[in-house]
Amino acid sequence: MIEIKDITKIYRTGGEPLVALDKISLSIQEGEFTAIMGPSGSGKSTMMNILGLLDRFDSGTYYLNGKDVSHLSDNEGAHVRNKEIGFVFQSFNLMPRMTILENVELPMVYANVPKKERNERAVKALERVGLGNRVKHRPNEISGGQKQRVAIARAIVNTPSVLMADEPTGNLDSKTTLDIMRIFQELNAEGTTVVMVTHEPEVAEYTKRVVLFKDGVIRDDYPQQQKIL
Amino acid sequence: MNLRENFKMAIDSVLANKMRSFLTMLGIIIGIAAVIAILGIGNGATSEITGTFNDLGASTITLSVSNDATDSEAITDADVTALKESIPEIERVSANNTTSASVRSDFDTRDALLSYGMPDLQYINQTMDSTIVYGRYFNQSDYLDSKDVTVISEDTAAALFNGQTDVVGEQLKISDNAGNQSDLTVIGVVKGTFQDLQGSFDLSQMPVYAAVPLTTMEKMNPTIKGINSLTIQVDSKDAIESVSKQAVRILETRHDAVGEDWYSATNFLQALDQVDNVMSLFINFIAAVAAIALLVGGIGVMNIMLVSVTERTREIGTRKALGATTGTILAQFLMESVILCLIGGIIGLVLGIFLASVVSNALDIVPNITIGSVLLVLFFSSAVGIFFGIYPARKAARLDPIEALRYE
Repeated sequence: MIEIKDITKIYRTGGEPLVALDKISLSIQEGEFTAIMGPSGSGKSTMMNILGLLDRFDSGTYYLNGKDVSHLSDNEGAHVRNKEIGFVFQSFNLMPRMTILENVELPMVYANVPKKERNERAVKALERVGLGNRVKHRPNEISGGQKQRVAIARAIVNTPSVLMADEPTGNLDSKTTLDIMRIFQELNAEGTTVVMVTHEPEVAEYTKRVVLFKDGVIRDDYPQQQKIL
Repeated sequence: MNLRENFKMAIDSVLANKMRSFLTMLGIIIGIAAVIAILGIGNGATSEITGTFNDLGASTITLSVSNDATDSEAITDADVTALKESIPEIERVSANNTTSASVRSDFDTRDALLSYGMPDLQYINQTMDSTIVYGRYFNQSDYLDSKDVTVISEDTAAALFNGQTDVVGEQLKISDNAGNQSDLTVIGVVKGTFQDLQGSFDLSQMPVYAAVPLTTMEKMNPTIKGINSLTIQVDSKDAIESVSKQAVRILETRHDAVGEDWYSATNFLQALDQVDNVMSLFINFIAAVAAIALLVGGIGVMNIMLVSVTERTREIGTRKALGATTGTILAQFLMESVILCLIGGIIGLVLGIFLASVVSNALDIVPNITIGSVLLVLFFSSAVGIFFGIYPARKAARLDPIEALRYE
């Protein structure tokens, strides 16, 4: 479902051009649970941004669900992100003034889903992550782990084909980390494709495949026996 | 994203920083309130003045002779007859002069305002209600024969005759400033309430009032020769301009004074034009002040919107990641600045109406705030919101999602 070929990304800010990604090719199938790993500066975050259609690249091709998304306009990119990609961020990125329910409804607002359906789907998504009873609260009234669960609910509410998580457990303690990883595993078991950037090997153990970046190239790419929670 | 969602988000955002929003609106509030108050008071004053003019008779013309003219240019009875004959629109005409004099009865002496003219003075005297209460007004034969008669007001009668008002047949001695004296018989008493522009003269402060035929005055004071002020009443307002011109032309021809500029006609239409001119100057001035106030207010709104965009950079990045298009973000921030300005405009409107009614109350006029000025306020506040919101909104919409997400 994700097919990238010879993707190169060069940063040209300041003096020497910096090659962040050097002719990367990668294929991720439907139903996979992939961890993208590597030290900082390895290019894993750049890879994630390109996979999430947040960033452009200098050369190469990107096919998402068989569709060429290499050269989309800003607004075309926005539509594909809205429909096909669910984002989970390290620092949750919830809207502080909105209730939890409104936060989860937001992607559907941008998809012009009618109010009533938005509400039903948001409640269902929140129930899916175990927060069906907190819908009227605001983000500052719940814990970090709960915030990340809200973010996951927001990411899955438009039933995207792939979930992109950027260090989703980076701001969480070890117990909450396991809670979040369990949710990802459950969603993956139900058929959702998950791509997760992490630099923690113990978190990567819960995925089915590890892609290791170093200096802008893929150093290693191997399937692994998933540690089930 | 539809308009309702957008509106709700904008309101939420404005309410999230209540104090900041209010301070931002303050420039708009003050500007709009000032405009509404001053327009309301100005319009109220204009209609008050216009109304007074109409009451006084918008269909009267005053013909006057320049002070530079010699006695031979004074208006004569023959001129008046000629005017009447050649201008059919003239309904009534009378000399309309006043002088001060002292009036003595058997009981008391008072300073008096003495009006003198022709019998039509009864109908065209603009400062005196000449409705007859007792007796009659002086007529054409009194006038032609210079009879020693006078008409006084009820208040005058009461002042001079121990409170009695039915004093027809009583005698009065009138003496003017030059010492000329005359004994007159009261032939009529009129209502005689002074009608000044505000309708609030204090009568106890006023001299008493008497009217006498012009010819009687001339007999008493030989220095009075002819008429230097003539009031003409025409049958319709529309005829005012043409009658004014004709009357001046006739007088100039009769006195062989074409082009000398000795005769001038003034009418209330001209006075109204003057009021209109002053008011439109005033309104333009206010509009300029308002424009400056709104400019300053708008810059304040732009400033705070730029701050808001910077503060919410990460929020904008997140929204973009979730599928917000540039248009959606643009609309969101634009709506916010429009809402800020519109709320400011509405508060200003309410404040302005309040100020206008307080000030008008003190000035004893009725404030006049039109639907037009309300709509104008709403339109202009929205326009300011769009104009000064577009730059911050574009800045927000064009943010690079990655940069925005990374922003701390």
